[in-house]
Amino acid sequence: MIDFSPEVATTVINTASYIAAGSAMIAGMGPGIGMGFAAGKATSAVRRQPEARGPIITTMLLGQVISASTGIYSLVIAIFLIYGI
Amino acid sequence: MKYIDDPHKLQIEIIKKTYLISLLPVISSLIAGEYDITLGFVFGLLIATLLLRLKYNNIIRALSLEEESAEKFIRNRYFLEYALYFLVMFTAARHANLNFLAAAVGLFMIKFTVIMWSIIDLLKDTFQRQIDEYK
Repeated sequence: MIDFSPEVATTVINTASYIAAGSAMIAGMGPGIGMGFAAGKATSAVRRQPEARGPIITTMLLGQVISASTGIYSLVIAIFLIYGI
Repeated sequence: MKYIDDPHKLQIEIIKKTYLISLLPVISSLIAGEYDITLGFVFGLLIATLLLRLKYNNIIRALSLEEESAEKFIRNRYFLEYALYFLVMFTAARHANLNFLAAAVGLFMIKFTVIMWSIIDLLKDTFQRQIDEYK
């Protein structure tokens, strides 16, 4: 077993935390792509059926509110890893 | 929730219900004397409310665009919102008077409310169906 000095161990832990925080931030991209896709489809749906505008906006708003939460989870984890709160 | 077709009304209902549910953690943290939790929670909740309004305005604007530009527009706006979320959490993490976890929970409150509301609607529908079948 190799014994590391405390400074080396701290550096390794900090580096690993930063890499993990960066990896966690990748999860923030998914909802953006999904939301954009949903918005595009909603636009074409409103063009096809203008009378269904209200329910489409309602569904889209709720969907976007919920789907954004995965991105925020990743942000919380990343900040936890960086600041060690 | 599923019976509300007017998006403006839905938004007001979500905000009302969220604030009503949020009274519990705010009052309990005030009674416990944990003012940093109260401040962090209120900070997160206020930003979440403003971001919901922003999201609604973005959706309305996106519907007047073409399909591809709407897709790009919403994607870009999401990343701007994400940056705002980061700023809120960064501020809560750096500031001693704001509790980070409370700010994060405050940001999530609208999502919790929507999910809870959907679950309650689902349970109501299930019970109603069972009562109708029993009759």
